[in-house]
Amino acid sequence: MDKNKEAAPDISAFLASAVHDMKNSIGILINFLESNLTELGPDARDKATPMLYEVKRVNDNLVQMLAIYKIGNQFYPFDLTENSIDDFVREIVEQNKTLLEYSGITLDVDLDEGLTWYFDCELISGVISHALNNATHYTKDKLRLSVKEEDRELVMRVEDNGSGYPDSVLEAGDAVSKGVNFASGSTGLGLYFSSMVAKLHKNRGRTGGIFLENGGNLGGSCFILRLP
Amino acid sequence: MYLPSDSTSLFAGKSFLIIDDFQGMRSMLREMLRTFGTKNIDTVTNGKEAIAYLEKNKYDVVLCDYNLGSGKNGQHILEEAKFRGLIGLATAWIIITAEKTADLVFGAAEYMPDDYIIKPVNEATMKSRLEKVLTRKEMLADIERAASEKNYGLTIALCDKALALSKTNATELQRIKTSMLLTMGRYDRAQQEFELILAKRDIPWAKTGLGKAVFYKGEHARAQQLFREVINENPAYLEAHDWLARSYEAAGELEEAQRALARCTELSPNSVIRQKNLGELAHKRGDLETAENAFRKTIKLGQFSIHKSPVAYLGLAKICSENDNPAEALQILKDTCKEFEGAETGFHAKVVEGMVYSKSGDLVNAGRISREVAELVKADDSHRASSVMLEAAQMFLATGNKEAAENIAQTLVKNNHENAELLAQVNDLYSQAGMSDQGEELVKNSRQEVIAINDRGVILAKEGKLDEAIRLLGEAHSRLPNNKRIMINLSNMAVMSMRKNGKNGDMMLIVDECLRQVAKLDPQDKWCAQLRVALDALPA
Repeated sequence: MDKNKEAAPDISAFLASAVHDMKNSIGILINFLESNLTELGPDARDKATPMLYEVKRVNDNLVQMLAIYKIGNQFYPFDLTENSIDDFVREIVEQNKTLLEYSGITLDVDLDEGLTWYFDCELISGVISHALNNATHYTKDKLRLSVKEEDRELVMRVEDNGSGYPDSVLEAGDAVSKGVNFASGSTGLGLYFSSMVAKLHKNRGRTGGIFLENGGNLGGSCFILRLP
Repeated sequence: MYLPSDSTSLFAGKSFLIIDDFQGMRSMLREMLRTFGTKNIDTVTNGKEAIAYLEKNKYDVVLCDYNLGSGKNGQHILEEAKFRGLIGLATAWIIITAEKTADLVFGAAEYMPDDYIIKPVNEATMKSRLEKVLTRKEMLADIERAASEKNYGLTIALCDKALALSKTNATELQRIKTSMLLTMGRYDRAQQEFELILAKRDIPWAKTGLGKAVFYKGEHARAQQLFREVINENPAYLEAHDWLARSYEAAGELEEAQRALARCTELSPNSVIRQKNLGELAHKRGDLETAENAFRKTIKLGQFSIHKSPVAYLGLAKICSENDNPAEALQILKDTCKEFEGAETGFHAKVVEGMVYSKSGDLVNAGRISREVAELVKADDSHRASSVMLEAAQMFLATGNKEAAENIAQTLVKNNHENAELLAQVNDLYSQAGMSDQGEELVKNSRQEVIAINDRGVILAKEGKLDEAIRLLGEAHSRLPNNKRIMINLSNMAVMSMRKNGKNGDMMLIVDECLRQVAKLDPQDKWCAQLRVALDALPA
């Protein structure tokens, strides 16, 4: 056996158990923050609320890295199931309720009721949660989540009334939708993940995609996910 | 706008079991459930405690962490609970997991949890999932009961009724319905259903289902093509890999089959059954290295699983013997008898032991074991698997006990006179021992004896002498309890008789016994399902 090869640590062997531990801890942290923010005075609460955003960012990054690793190695169990849009949106909204409330942000939801669609619930929930968490950070005081069927595709939009994406992010978004490998840093990871997830969703010759725009219904940034 | 729905009534009377090794998680889950209005909550920390609680109590919902440190994991507990009947159809089992794995999402349908939740767990998700699962369980209760009672016709009728009523759970209903059609051997109908679903959308389970229907119809190349398409789109879809391997094997492409199985064990590294299948196939191909590896893994993984199987132990013992390592082979055989108490395994282990001694040149011990096995065969030879009896015959020939070998070979041929593969194996056995003429003679005579009885029975039935035909084949059946053709003819005659004269206890007894025996020989046999349909159609 090749000794050098054996000496190089195989990180994947630790990945699963490390993620298991981290997710336990993050879960308890999020839960602690959400249930205890109410008991804090206004001053302390204003200081503690951003911590919830930070913990969620850590969780998003973890989810994204693990998914990218597994999809890249063809290990990801892509679970294409029919999901009720009402249930899906309700779960997402409930998950983000505390952070939005204490950040003083209102979220409008607009969806086609009774709609169902095929997608991998974990992955799409990861994409939309990440978009919402981002928008929470950059918006002034309003968010809008809309889910509609357009031209036989499911279109999910996350919009805000902040000052919009900077040009560099719009360019990165453009590049990613054209399949170019582009930006770095955490914007890069989130975009790469979202685009990879969108492209996994195919149906009868069509492929999903993500698009970044400024303007939209609230005048700020607008994240768009299209699924066939 | 999204006010939490009032579901206190859904949770109030329900009992919950929480299984988690982490104190923080246990108390968090318990607090959540209390908020939902539940009072009846038990918590345990590991598999052993969980099984003890499940043995004593009935739960409506089990929330089970997947990774429980050392010992059983969440999936092991679920499988044991289902296998031993510790939970009924009404119990909802939810696995909580840090990462989504292929085993969890695409595992065997009969051992799937009702839902899985990916960490971090939050109150909103937990509540909405619990509501969904409990509502779905309630809606599917009748259908699951009918399916578990093997009442296939009723199951399909109930699915159709529910599908006509609403879109809720449509996928679930279509899956149950199509799997019933496959079980019943109605492949054309199943194929139609799958094609209808696929005309609207590419869905992996439907395409895999179509592949199965086509496979059962004998179109192996088309089936392979379909399974490969599923894998291309969805590389971790386990069932398609399993079936791809199966269709390669059926087409005789064993190397390809092994490659597909090996890929499957990479995707599903904890599956005892897949490791065992890989070991068996590699052993059959003579790839001893892969087989040895796979059997060792099977044994290790089987430690906490109800799927642990003597096949891997005995396979490994044979490989050790083939690799001229009789000492380890004998040690493994000892372990086998410690791990598995059944008489069948004990018998099989003794047969292998005889071969090990014979191969290593220890003729004294080989002769001793050979005589012991012969005694066991004399005492009862009716209920052992033919593959084991084939090995016993081989061992008898190797140890010079020709008479015992001949007895077994005759019984085997008579019980399986239409099984070309087995007849060829008997012939091989004799030619390897340098006695091909005797082998051919034996196979020919034994076959003809059974064919003659069967033919006589069929002619009697055609002449309208049903009672006489049933008596003749009934008598043949008690002498050759594993002959499928005799059982099928006998049961068909019994059904014919009941069609003419109405239901009758004696005839039902015959049919039930044959059904049980055929299902035991081959659990996949579609004839059983067809016979059940015929029984359902009988006038009361």
